[in-house]
Amino acid sequence: MKGRTSVQPGYYPGFSTLGQQANWDEATRATVLKRVARSLELHFFTPEEAPLIEAIFEHILPQIDRDEKYRIPIVPVVDERLHTNRLDGYRYENMPPDQEAYRLGMQAIEEIARGKDGRGFLELTPLEQDKLLRTLHDGKPEGAHHIWERMPVHRFWMLMVQDAAEAYYAHPYAWDEIGFGGPAYPRAYMRLERGEAEPWEVEEQRYEWEAPEDSVSDIYELISGHDLHQATPGQGGTH
Amino acid sequence: MNPLKKYLFNERNGNGHALGPIQEIDVPMRRFGEEEVDYVVIGVGSAGGVLLQRLARAGFRVLGLEAGPFWNTERDWVSDEAGSHNLYWEQLRITGGTHPLALGANNSGRGVGGGSVHWAAFTPRLHPSDFRIHSEDGVGIDWPMTYEELKPYYEQLELEMPVAGPAYYPWGDPHGYAYGPHPMGGAGDVLIQGCTKLGIGVSIGGPVAILSGSHGDRQHCIYRGFCIQACKVGAKASTLITHVPDALRSGAEIRDDSMVSRIHVNKENRVTGVSYFDVHGQEHFQRAKAVIVSGYAIETPRLLLNSACPGHENGLANSSDTVGRYLMAQAGNVVLGRFHDLVRIYKAPPAHALTEEFYETDSKRDFARGFAIQTVGPLPIAFAKQMMTAKGAWGWGLRRIMMDYNHWAAIALLGEILPWPENRVQLAEAKDRFGIPVAKVTFGLHDNDEKLIEFGKNKVIEVMGAAGAEEVVQETRFAHLVGAARMGTDPRTSVVDKYGRTHDVANLFVCDGSILPTQGSANPGLTIQALAARTGDYLIAQGESIFNTNHRDMMQPAIRRDLAPPGTYGRGVPRLANLTS
Repeated sequence: MKGRTSVQPGYYPGFSTLGQQANWDEATRATVLKRVARSLELHFFTPEEAPLIEAIFEHILPQIDRDEKYRIPIVPVVDERLHTNRLDGYRYENMPPDQEAYRLGMQAIEEIARGKDGRGFLELTPLEQDKLLRTLHDGKPEGAHHIWERMPVHRFWMLMVQDAAEAYYAHPYAWDEIGFGGPAYPRAYMRLERGEAEPWEVEEQRYEWEAPEDSVSDIYELISGHDLHQATPGQGGTH
Repeated sequence: MNPLKKYLFNERNGNGHALGPIQEIDVPMRRFGEEEVDYVVIGVGSAGGVLLQRLARAGFRVLGLEAGPFWNTERDWVSDEAGSHNLYWEQLRITGGTHPLALGANNSGRGVGGGSVHWAAFTPRLHPSDFRIHSEDGVGIDWPMTYEELKPYYEQLELEMPVAGPAYYPWGDPHGYAYGPHPMGGAGDVLIQGCTKLGIGVSIGGPVAILSGSHGDRQHCIYRGFCIQACKVGAKASTLITHVPDALRSGAEIRDDSMVSRIHVNKENRVTGVSYFDVHGQEHFQRAKAVIVSGYAIETPRLLLNSACPGHENGLANSSDTVGRYLMAQAGNVVLGRFHDLVRIYKAPPAHALTEEFYETDSKRDFARGFAIQTVGPLPIAFAKQMMTAKGAWGWGLRRIMMDYNHWAAIALLGEILPWPENRVQLAEAKDRFGIPVAKVTFGLHDNDEKLIEFGKNKVIEVMGAAGAEEVVQETRFAHLVGAARMGTDPRTSVVDKYGRTHDVANLFVCDGSILPTQGSANPGLTIQALAARTGDYLIAQGESIFNTNHRDMMQPAIRRDLAPPGTYGRGVPRLANLTS
């Protein structure tokens, strides 16, 4: 990829779930189309906060490999959740409300950046930004400890990654990228076994996919070394 | 203005109210207004739906108050992960302890049908040993009833849902299912291959409460994989489509968007009714001769604790200090394996194959009780979150692994965690939009639980490896909620008796997952509905005496198969018709 962008990354060239919308039920079609055409206006994050939170999410779930027109809005989705106070059904006893968590987290990230050589997060190079965020992933933030005392760093990290995943993988462009068939009512699936594609799905065509060189997030390790019980993120139900 | 809608269905949809592509209700609902009813049922979910149906059919004046909406399935439900948040109880709850539980999407329902709207619909029975784990293994507590007492209700509800599964199911009390099993999807194939290689028996195509063939006004499964996002197809059973229609036809009323805030008790220690908030935030008082709380393992104790009053200072029906305690979740570690060939795990119901080979206590292991292994089917968002925890994935790494989504299969542990008094529901300082204190949930594991999870997790990993996975990772998590208002014979250590009647207040009942004293390694939905049908039979047999006396008659009622929704008899595989005793 290396600097080149595309309409559709992934191994399923030409696959379009939106192209199947005639086979979806009305309510599902309305929900998905509304998502594709969503407003990018922000209500929770202030104009001053917007560039910082945008920059952070460009690393949490990067998509500079996508053509500008085919990028998936993440910050506006998080913004709406915080603005309307839609919860996942719980809050950890050692976490502030999500809205406060985001404000504290942004403050901490900015503080860590400035603590090094006075540059703010937005003034760092993409690689430096990536490396700073990785310290949060690793549970070893280099600064802003007064904030992490009020909010466990791994919980804040998971909050961001979850919100990013929930926004990105809810979008039909992401479904096309990963070869997920998308809505299937009332049409149904008929080829259940051996990973076979439906007649309207696309066969996988693999190639050597590479992350940009100025990033560190393609190589990661299991978060460990501190009191982290995994069984905690706001998982969608699996059972 | 009377905020109670007069004809709910006509008002919302001029052409009838869809409960699936074919099923529809178009009868105006009976309205009791403010007049006293026989029973108020709080929460119309797995238990509440069955109770309403039984009581209405027996001729009682019965009203269901449901905090969430009455779904129109064609209008309100979507084949979409992110669009299905409204199915879950996602309002604020505080969670903590050494192993805090994630609440909401995977364990709490909201709206008519409750959790049965978004369950995966695995319906194994408890084993006979589950009813006496203290006698057999010295852990937990025995149930105040035996498996044999509940068995006729298992058989009955398996027909009412109905359940699809193998003709012979070997574990626990061996039995068979009257409806044929489902075909396999990718996860089921992996479970079969792994188990077969290791010589582990595996049940294929069920037991699940999903139609493998069309049934009355419900159509068969179309294998679209969105079970947990509510079955728009009408193939997966929920009480919304299996029991609520008959309840309404029989004269029950359901008031949706009605959040009960308090149960009232008079000086004679009798329940007189409940306060609730309607959708406009207006508070009402509803008089009732008896009240049944069916709010599930968090909202039930929350309501009882919020109903504290003179004579019940620690919460209603809480003289034992057991309300909120002994909350249980099951170990639900998900094991994910990457395969060289494509799997496309999003097709087929998440629930379609399982093994209970490790269910019982084994003296060769260093812990009591056991576990099941079951298929799961994470859709992209759930899978991404699993990769975040199982692998620590983020950024480009998350994008990369998600591009491989179709190469991954998932199977999961379902393990028994024992009841502990300090795992509990209490009231938090925070309040909901009506000003009602929200629940605070504290959860932690003990030695037996941790050993069981470690062993079980490794067994599931072994199965995944034997199936041929190139890479195997796992996510620690929990599934289901039960307990927190447990039943028992001793009023000093339990909240309700074996029929769900509170020890402290003679016309107050609890009937839902919260009354389970222990949980086994079976998904709780079938057991909850079986208990509800049994409590229904008890209340019907007791008749007016529930309303007029404090007398506690513990006589076992006869099962009333005649009160089942129509169409339950004469269906399924005929040779199994005699299985029902």
